[in-house]
Amino acid sequence: MDGIELMTTALRAAQARLDVSAGNLANASTDGFRKRVSHAALTESGIRSSSAIDEAPGALRHTGRNFDLAVTDGALLLQAGGKVVEARSGSFTLDGSGHLRDEHGRLLLGSHGPLVATSLATIDSRGVVRDGDRELGRLRVRTGTVVESGFLEASNVDAVSEMVGVLSAQRAFETAQKTLSALDDARSKNVNDVGRIKS
Amino acid sequence: VNRALFAAATGMAAQQRNLDIVADNLANADVVGFKSAAASFTPLGAGPGFGTVLSAEHHVFSQGKLERTGGPFDVAIDGVGFFSVERDGERAYTRAGSFSRGADGRLRNADGWTLRGVRIPSSALEVSVAADGRVSVGSPGGARAPAGRIALVAFAAPEHLRPLGTALFAATQGSGPPRELRAGGDRQPKIAFGMLEKSNVSIVESMMAILAAQRAYEANAKGVQASDEMLRIANNLHRS
Repeated sequence: MDGIELMTTALRAAQARLDVSAGNLANASTDGFRKRVSHAALTESGIRSSSAIDEAPGALRHTGRNFDLAVTDGALLLQAGGKVVEARSGSFTLDGSGHLRDEHGRLLLGSHGPLVATSLATIDSRGVVRDGDRELGRLRVRTGTVVESGFLEASNVDAVSEMVGVLSAQRAFETAQKTLSALDDARSKNVNDVGRIKS
Repeated sequence: VNRALFAAATGMAAQQRNLDIVADNLANADVVGFKSAAASFTPLGAGPGFGTVLSAEHHVFSQGKLERTGGPFDVAIDGVGFFSVERDGERAYTRAGSFSRGADGRLRNADGWTLRGVRIPSSALEVSVAADGRVSVGSPGGARAPAGRIALVAFAAPEHLRPLGTALFAATQGSGPPRELRAGGDRQPKIAFGMLEKSNVSIVESMMAILAAQRAYEANAKGVQASDEMLRIANNLHRS
């Protein structure tokens, strides 16, 4: 691999890094969003960049809505299609049959199938669902889960590090371009000046 | 394709709409019965470099503060539920209880929506409304006479109601049909007479939301700038 090819992969890696930071910044206000973190490595085929999801939990944001749920520990169990999946937070609304669904249409599970609730229901930290004194059911959660009703988990994007990411991606791109130009100049000299006979 | 440029642009557009929603809340902070709206965002894809979209705007139906006004036909709901109003055969639901008496004895709000279930006779000297919604009027003879009942309705999923104006909503498939609500008892909503419900907009929270949206917009604008700068550099790689 020659220098020009190597610098091309460096340009691409810088672009990929900016893509990741821009995607994170765009989703800084998306509840429950998990940021991606970019990595770059020097391999035989040049600089290879990749990104992975950072699963660190985001801060809890107060909404005051009874069906905005988040957990400080453990997970909520939801039914998506035929499968049971876990989630740490969700903004649920009642559907026509009294079930609670999140923004993606997934059903919130109770101890006996999908939870049935009323618009006035409250959910306590252990996941017990009540309407006044009447117990309507219990959330199906992993043991040890602490449920916070009236909260949503915000994205875990940290604006400062993403801005630094944007800047350093841009500078890395510039550096690669400068190196590329220097290599190009050297080649130009090789082609045009080496072997020229001065008259 | 330059992903970063598009991702940052979607972020700017979403924050712009977010700001519109917060500004609308603030503008209506003094409107009786107004319910604040909140935005939710959804990522546009699962991989790196995808943008965002403001996917939903839903109303927050938390209780607003009740304020004594002493208006002769002012009512407010302490608890859940809506007043049922109609105009030209169309039904709608509101928590704004600022009414006045029309020539036909019906109670109307400023936009001409009539409160269902109540008719005040022209001979009435004064009107009072009990916590369960029963309306009675004092007549010249001194005896009190019933004049109907203000019915409250509730919805299975009020968040799916469709806004018709600043404090007025219509039922939709998603909200479910209106269902009559008992009022006045223990753990039941009560009708407060001579009071109005203020909006549930929190000025402090709205100001904070504006600041956050502004900064998020700026950060995305920097992303657009950086992408643009990199494209400029790429274009200048070839020097003739």
